[in-house]
Formats: sequence, structure tokens, C-alpha cells
Amino acid sequence: MSENSSGKASKKMMNFSSIGAQKLIIFLTLIVLIIIFTILSPNFLLVDNIISILLATCVNGLLALGVTFVIITGGIDLSIGTVMTFSAVISGLCVTGLNLPLWLGSIICILVGTIIGTLTGLMVSRLKIPAFIATLGVMMITSGLSLVVTGARPVYFPSEYKEIAVGSLFGKLIPGFQLPNAVLILFIMAIIASIILNKTVMGRYNFAIGSNTEATRLSGVNVAGWLTGIHALAGAFFGIAGIIISSRLGSAQPAIGQGYELEAIAAVVIGGTSLAGGQGTISGTIIGAFIMSVLTNGLRIVGVAQEWQTVVIGAVVILAVFIDTYRRKKQNI
Amino acid sequence: MKKQSKILCISLLLCFVLLLTSCNRGGQSDNLNEITGDKPYIAVIAKGFQHQFWQTVRKGAEMAAEDYGVQITFQGTDTESQIDKQTEMLDAALSKNPVAICIAALDSKAILGSLEKAHQRGIPIVGFDSGVDSDIVAATAATDNKAAAALAADKMAEAIGGKGEIGMIVQDQTSMTGRDRRDGFKERIESKYPDIKIVDIQYGEGDHTKSADAAKAIISANPNVVGMYGANEGSAIGVVLALSELGKTGKIQAVGFDSGKRQIDAVRDGEMYGAVTQNPIQIGYKAVEAAYKAYKGEQVEKEIDTGFKWYDKSNVDSEEIKQLLYE
Amino acid sequence: MGETILTMEHIEKRFPGVHALSDCHFDLRAGEVHSIVGENGAGKSTLMKILTGVYKKDSGNITYMGKSLEPENPRHTQDAGISIIHQELNLMQHLSAAQNIFIGREPRKAKIFTDDKEMVEKTKELFKMLNLNLSPRAKVADITVAKQQMVEIAKALSFDSKILIMDEPTAALTESEIAELFKIIESLKKRGVGIVYISHRMDELMKITDRITVMRDGKYINTVNTNDVSKDEIINMMVGRTIFEEPKEESTALSDDVVLSVQNLSDGGLLKDISFDLKHGEILGFAGLMGAGRTEVARAIFGADKKKSGDIFIKGKLVKINSPQDAVKNGIGYLSEDRKRYGMMVGMDVETNTVIASMEKFNRFGFISSGKTAKVSKEYVEKLKTKTPGIRQIAKNLSGGNQQKVIIAKWLVRDCDILIFDEPTRGIDIGAKSEIYSLLTELAASGKSIIMISSELPEILRMSDRVAVMCEGRITKILDINEANQETIMHYATLRE
Repeated sequence: MSENSSGKASKKMMNFSSIGAQKLIIFLTLIVLIIIFTILSPNFLLVDNIISILLATCVNGLLALGVTFVIITGGIDLSIGTVMTFSAVISGLCVTGLNLPLWLGSIICILVGTIIGTLTGLMVSRLKIPAFIATLGVMMITSGLSLVVTGARPVYFPSEYKEIAVGSLFGKLIPGFQLPNAVLILFIMAIIASIILNKTVMGRYNFAIGSNTEATRLSGVNVAGWLTGIHALAGAFFGIAGIIISSRLGSAQPAIGQGYELEAIAAVVIGGTSLAGGQGTISGTIIGAFIMSVLTNGLRIVGVAQEWQTVVIGAVVILAVFIDTYRRKKQNI
Repeated sequence: MKKQSKILCISLLLCFVLLLTSCNRGGQSDNLNEITGDKPYIAVIAKGFQHQFWQTVRKGAEMAAEDYGVQITFQGTDTESQIDKQTEMLDAALSKNPVAICIAALDSKAILGSLEKAHQRGIPIVGFDSGVDSDIVAATAATDNKAAAALAADKMAEAIGGKGEIGMIVQDQTSMTGRDRRDGFKERIESKYPDIKIVDIQYGEGDHTKSADAAKAIISANPNVVGMYGANEGSAIGVVLALSELGKTGKIQAVGFDSGKRQIDAVRDGEMYGAVTQNPIQIGYKAVEAAYKAYKGEQVEKEIDTGFKWYDKSNVDSEEIKQLLYE
Repeated sequence: MGETILTMEHIEKRFPGVHALSDCHFDLRAGEVHSIVGENGAGKSTLMKILTGVYKKDSGNITYMGKSLEPENPRHTQDAGISIIHQELNLMQHLSAAQNIFIGREPRKAKIFTDDKEMVEKTKELFKMLNLNLSPRAKVADITVAKQQMVEIAKALSFDSKILIMDEPTAALTESEIAELFKIIESLKKRGVGIVYISHRMDELMKITDRITVMRDGKYINTVNTNDVSKDEIINMMVGRTIFEEPKEESTALSDDVVLSVQNLSDGGLLKDISFDLKHGEILGFAGLMGAGRTEVARAIFGADKKKSGDIFIKGKLVKINSPQDAVKNGIGYLSEDRKRYGMMVGMDVETNTVIASMEKFNRFGFISSGKTAKVSKEYVEKLKTKTPGIRQIAKNLSGGNQQKVIIAKWLVRDCDILIFDEPTRGIDIGAKSEIYSLLTELAASGKSIIMISSELPEILRMSDRVAVMCEGRITKILDINEANQETIMHYATLRE
């Protein structure tokens, strides 16, 4: 039962300030991490290293952006990494086998991601297979298919393909500032994702479905259709991640991909998106992805042993979820 | 409308499955994993399957099977951490009554129980790629990874002129191979080259991008690094990527391990000083050969060194090296 | 009447920015039923949460059984003999009645095994005491809500409770079940249990309670003997103004044009052969006992559940409605009885909840024209006099009545001509109720056609132009308002085949 009306205004303030606070906390965490690492190692805050961190964030960042949409619906996607790999592999086979131009290969990569996303979405929304199971299945299928279609051999792209990720449009305009294109793509996609989430009908339905699926359906919204669309959109992001990773490697490596999903989900969760659905931001996800890569890079630079690196990252994920739960709990009283 | 989309959905799924099965047929038309004839059957259980290295080992094993008129199955785990899965594979293979077993143990202690069962049934066991810590194995066909890594260390010293800071990217710190390739390199540097300092060792899971990010972190943290060592294919390619992304190709010397197209190209183009390769065909071939001989009751050598070779720009395209490399 | 077992004096409680309780008093005697009444937000649930240890009071004294009591947490007060039965029952659906009663304190065998036999025996005794005909092994999910409530009462008894707090105990019960509940309350009284009875239903209060304490805006108003006051006097104390609840005398439908016609609707389960017409500007009441199938009719028409057979005509045209989407396209809006689950996204703001059904209107090539959505939302906040600090307010923080207004706005924005209200005033306090009533009347007068499902007969009689009475999945009679009264409705509501 709700409290009396004079309490509502203050409640509203609490509500907004705490969502703001969550974002502020993770942003500050990122800044604090950067300060700590800068103090611990003079080599951390150098242009080359910053660019390394930015580049290392790209794949995980794109995957995290895609899965943010799915997580806001209250769903989950475990097939993130392997769909990325599968898209890259198919695009590679098309480029090398059919001699297609690279731009067409890239489009195929996004298309394959979108198609798999659509299939996943249909399974979740129409066949009502629990997302965890459906995407687990898709993860296994795509990981296996990648090996099958390539005969477990990497597919090598022509060398110009590297330009997409590691070339630098910026460097051509401003000599000396060799920001890789992949970073540019990540930021452009983040802006697009943010626009989709906040300004479009799809974004609004995305939140509505995550907030209360049944009430949304009873408002006459085609929930199954939109849910499929959201999965397809996420798939497109995985496809773009596939372009970036295969461009960076100059090849599509069929054996990688598993394990990437957990890093992406971790970034989303650190970014304050609730696994329960209905809440989340793109900026949070991007900051979350940067926290992950700053941590990994920083811990390496200051020479923390590998074993402890994973321990620290695990602890950060738990801490992030704890802060989120605590905030939610406070909000409800 | 709802019904239609459901039908659409199911038919799409069916297409997916069909695609899968047809691809499957195209990819591996030879039904090697079926045991049909009355030829003696040898089970080969590897540590991996997807990786090209293992595919080349498999080729060697198949060549031996052909030469000796035996039938083999070649299986491998998806990742090198699936110790339990390998045990399952071994148990399943045992139930098919093989005349001998070739195993690349992920964890020789974990699998010992099943191996002892086989031993009691009189089935000879041959280790390959990495050893099994027990005297029940008839033979082990493996690369002496420590010696190979030491060779890489010598070559690294040669590349950087015997002094300076170097970094290492290793696949993991848990597998025997990973440890041997790390320690063999490290020990040689420490004992023979006092002017060379190893500043950091990072582990990249053999994943190309992760290894590249780790290598970049080492170089950022230690601007004076003059050499980088990558202890397997993924690590070595990671090093090459890191150097090219940082624009340090040629300024920092790279020494690698194993092969793969990207690494071979890097060696050929001078991006990489050179690399040590195992002889995967020999590993597969010798393992099956030893298993067959043990089954026939012939004498077999306990430690079969399958050899390793250094390759660089000068010999990468020679016939001798070419047959050891896989793309 | 027994001696006083509980006194709460000078209770103060502040939340950030809110003075939730100021100088509140309450006392309870053994063997009495004492009700706390007041509109939502009056502070009655806060007071009870302080008594049961959910909240800590800022100041004030609580004396229980002659001793001072500082409630620490719900478990502590329950062990001390103060039990609460919430409106939303706290039972584990997949466990048996006995398992629910003894959860957390199962009789043990050899310390580690649960002693099922003893648990069942003890439960049987409790049920006997309550005159309840139910197997202790029955799974809670399989029994009626009324029986589930009895299980909760049995659980409270098993704690040897001296005080039992019942929050809206009759909300989900049928008339006969309520009678059953009252019998049990009487027997509890005889056993000397003091009962705090919280309800919005004035008629019930007048019947079952001994004393009534009235609260308003976090303040204590008065405590009276039920026999000394009339219902209107209590309501006046609660709201500080007079409210009339007079039945409607004749239909105010705008015309005889049939807007919605349902023919021979069946769902293959409960619903059999449902046929009725809804006229232009009419409020068609749906009365019946719990489980008669009223909500099922609404959901079937709205396409939320599957139909087996039957046709729906809108303005004479046959339409296919297989999903809520189809229904909304055809101008039907459904307002569920369970707002939190089916009615709205409580975690989202007023604006989103207002426009969610009408995105096509605000869709510019996939983008939302946010200026328009804000404008429309503001317009309806004003039009319906929704009390909210703004359109960005999260729906969760609105009172029930204002939530209901937001949902009404949702369908008005969508231009729905047919509105199906399922229990439009459930969980809404009296002041807001009359606002919802006038809103319904206005809507009908403006040409909307309304189906109104309600379990409160006064509400049906006050609002409806005609009354469809249901029993066991069939419409047994459609009464004109001038022939409808409590007796005729109850007659048809119990007219079994």
C-alpha cells in the first residue's frame, strides 16, 4: 500500500537521484580505477596504452550493447560470442569462396547475426522456450556449426580487411592521433543504440516488455513480434562485433567465442542494467565495458598475477550487482 | 496469424537442422568414427579437436593407420580444461574393445583410474603430445617442449643481440605444455643470458585477441621491451597483432611457437623473427605406430621424441619445414 | 469483553519528507473485533507495520499483555503472539497446507528428519478447531482462496496468537465464504483472541466489529463503539465529507444502438454459451459470485485467453479477436482487476503507461515524437484530475485510484469506445472511489460503452444501466436496473443448472 500523497514528491526525488547515483557511482569507479592505475604505473596513462584499452573494449563493448537490449526485456542471451564467431565465419567463407567484395562480406556478417537473432527471438517469443535454454542451445549450435563449415580451420580475409578495425580515419585527418576505426564504430553504435533505446517505439516497448510483459501484451502490443525484433537487433550488434574481431585478426577464427558472453553480460550488469528487466542504460553498458577492460589492462600493467586478475574482476561484478540490489531495496521502502 | 508464424518458426528451425546435417556431411564425409571392419581398432583421444594442430596430428595418425592396416577413431575435447569429458571419452572408447589406446592426457592423474582399468585388461597405452605420469604406459610420443622452448630462447637472444628486456605470452599456467614452454624458455634465458631480463609473463588462453591485449599491456608497462615470445599459435599471433597495432613491428623482435597461416606469413614477411614448430604429423604417426607395435607385442621405445624445428624467413618455404607446418 | 491486551500510545513515525503517523493511539481487548479504518495513506498499514515490527517507531509506547513491547521484526512479534494475515496471502503454492502452517518450525524426528505424521495430526486439530473441512495434505495451489485464508488463520492459531491482524480478509471471497469467515471470527472471539480487522467494506465492518478506530492523514481521529454509530457517520469521520451511495433508478444509456454483441461465446472450459449486447453509452454491470466466470468473459472478449467458439460483432460487423492486439484495433480496452500484474508497468512513468497502447499515433518513422506524448499525457492528467507530481512520476508511487486513472487514460488516448472495467475500485479508498464512479458516468455520457465487473453489489446497483448476472460460467439473467436489487441479483447469481 502506498504512503500518503505528500510523500510522493520526495519519493520521486529519491527515485531519480538514485538512478543518477548508480550511474555516477560506476562512472566514478572508472575514474578512480584510472587514477589508481596511473599512480601505480607511469606507463598506464600513455596515449598508446589508452588506445590499446579502447581497442580492447570494442568487441566486448559491441556484444554488451547488443545484449543490453535483450537483458532490458528481462531475457538473457548466452549465444552472444558464438553468434559473433559464426557470423564472421560465414562472411569469411562468402568473401573467400565467392570472391565477394569486402563491404558485401561485412553486410553478410551483420545479416547472419540478425538472422540468428531472429531465430532465437522466435524460439523465445513464439515457441516460449525459456531464453536461458534457447540461447544455450543456439550457443552450442553456432559454435559447432562454425567448426563444421570451416573444417575447424581459420578463414583468412584479404589484407585490406584489417582497415575496418585497425585502420584510422582519425589518423588521416589528425596525424598523430591514431584512433582505430573499431573504436569509432563502437562509439557510433553506442549512440545508435542509445537513440533506439530512448527515442524509438522499439525502445519504449523494450522497457515496457521488461517492466511487465503481460501488461504490455494486454495493452494490445505485439509482444512476440517486438521481442523477436529486439533479438534480431541484438544479433545485428553481434554481427558487427564479428566484423571487428575478424578484421582485427585478419581472419575468422572458428574456435573462439565461448566465454565472451559472460564478459559482455558482466559489463552490462556493472553498467547498472537489471537482470530482472525493465531498467538499463546504454551509457552504463559502455562504462561497464570500459571498467572491464581498464581493470584487465591495468592489472596487467601493474603486474598483478593472472589468477588474481580474474578474482578482482569477479569481485567487481558481484559488487556492482550488490550496489544495484541495495539501491532497489532502498527504493522500495 | 499466430498459427502461421508458429509454422514459419518451426520450419525455419527445421531448415537450420537440415543445414547442419548437410554441412556435416560435406565437412566430414569419411565416416572415420564408425567402426565397421574387422581390422584391429585403436582409440586415439586428443586434448583438442578444433585446433589445426590437432587436425594435423589426426592426419599423421590416419597415415599410420593406413600403413599398418588398423582402424582408428580420433576424438578430442572442446577445450583443454574438460578433464572430466576426456575421462568419459576414454571410458566410452574402452567399451568398444580397442586393441590399444593413444591418449594425450589433459591431466594424467585424473585419468589414471581409467587407464589402469585398461592396463589390467591388457590393453597397451601410448601417450602422445604430453606424457602420463605412470609406468603403465608403453610409450610416449611427444615433443620435448622444454628443449624446444630453450631453442626459442636461444633464437630470441640471437635476435636481440644478447641483451635487453623481453616479455612472454603463454597460453596457460596449468597444462604441462604451457608450463614446459614457459619454463624451458625462462630457464635458458636465466642460465645463459644474464643481460636479458624477463619483465613479465602474461597468459592469454591461446585466444588471439586476448593474447594481443595482454602483449600490448606488457609493452605499455615496459617501454624498453625489445623482444616478445609467444608460446603457442594463439599467443604468437597475439604478439604479432600487438606489435602491428602499436606500430612496433620490426622494433620489437617476436619469437613464436607452432604454425598456422598467419604466423607463417608473419615469419615470411619478417614481422616475426622466427618460430619453433613441433612435428604434429610425427606425433600422430608415432603414437599410432607405437600403439600398433605394443599390441603386436613388439618392443617399443619408451620415450619417442617426435622432434621440433626452428623456422625463419630463410627456410620457411623449404620442403623440410613445409611438411611440418599447417595452415 | 475481556481486558485490554494491547495499547499503542503516542506513536510517531516519520519517513523522509512525510509525517506518516503523528500521535496515534490504538488499543485492543481480548475477544473483540476492532477495526481501523481510513483512506489509503491514512496510516493504518503503517501503524500495523510498526506493531508487527516491519517498521521501527520513532517514539511512543506499546504495551502488550501488561508489558512494554519493542517489536524487532515480524518473526519476533509472531513468536510473541501477534500474527498478521496479509491481503496477498503469503503461502507457498506448491507445498501442502500442513507444510505451510509449520514452515520453519517443522516437528522433528531425531533432530534432522521432519515428522510428517505429527505435523498432519497437529494440522488436523487446528482445522477441527476452525471447523474447516480440508485435508492437511492438500496442496495450497489446488484449494480456493477462501480455504487458503483459513490455512493462514490456522497458521496464526498454531502460534497461539493473542492478536490476529486481518488485512482486507474478504477482498477475494464470495458471499457464502464471507459468512463462513465471520463464523470463524466469532469462534476466535470466544477463545479470547483480539482481532484487528482492516477493510474498506463498510457493510462488513458494521456487522462484524465491536469497535472502530478512525484515522485520517496519519492522525488519530476517534474510537467508537460500532453499535453507537451509523455507517455514514464513520465515513464522514474518514473523509470529512458526506458520500451518497444511492442505487441508480433507471438506465442512462444514450441509445439502443448495439455497439458490441457477443454471441454464443464458449472457452471450452468454464464459459458456456455467453451472449449479450452492449449499447451505446451504457454501463453493463457484470455481477456474480467469485468464480462465476466474469473475468474469464472479459479476457475472452479481449483476446487475452483462447476462445473455443462464438462470434463477436462490433457495430454490427463480425470481427475476429484472437489477441489483445486485435481487440485494441477494434476499439476495446480492458482494465484488469489486478493492476500491478496486468494493468500497468508499475516500474515505468505515467507518460509511458499513458501512451503504451497508442504508439502508432506517436510513431514518426520508428521514432517517438516525445513532445506529443508528453503533451497528451499532461492533457489526460489534467482531464482525469490524476494526482501526480508530474508525468515522469513512476506509477508505483501513485495511489490505487490514480493508477486506475492512468490506465483509463491509456485507453482514452487509444480512442477505445468499449471499455471493460474489471473491479474498477478494488483496493481504492472511498474518496477516490466516488471519483472513479463519476468518471465512469462521464465516460458513458460521452458515448463510451462500458462493461463493469464488480463483486460489490452496491457498486453494481449504483453504476449499472443493466446487470448481467453470471453463475458457473453462464449468464443466468440480464436485469434492467429498475428490476435489479440485492435480492434479485443474488437469486440469479446462485441459480445453478
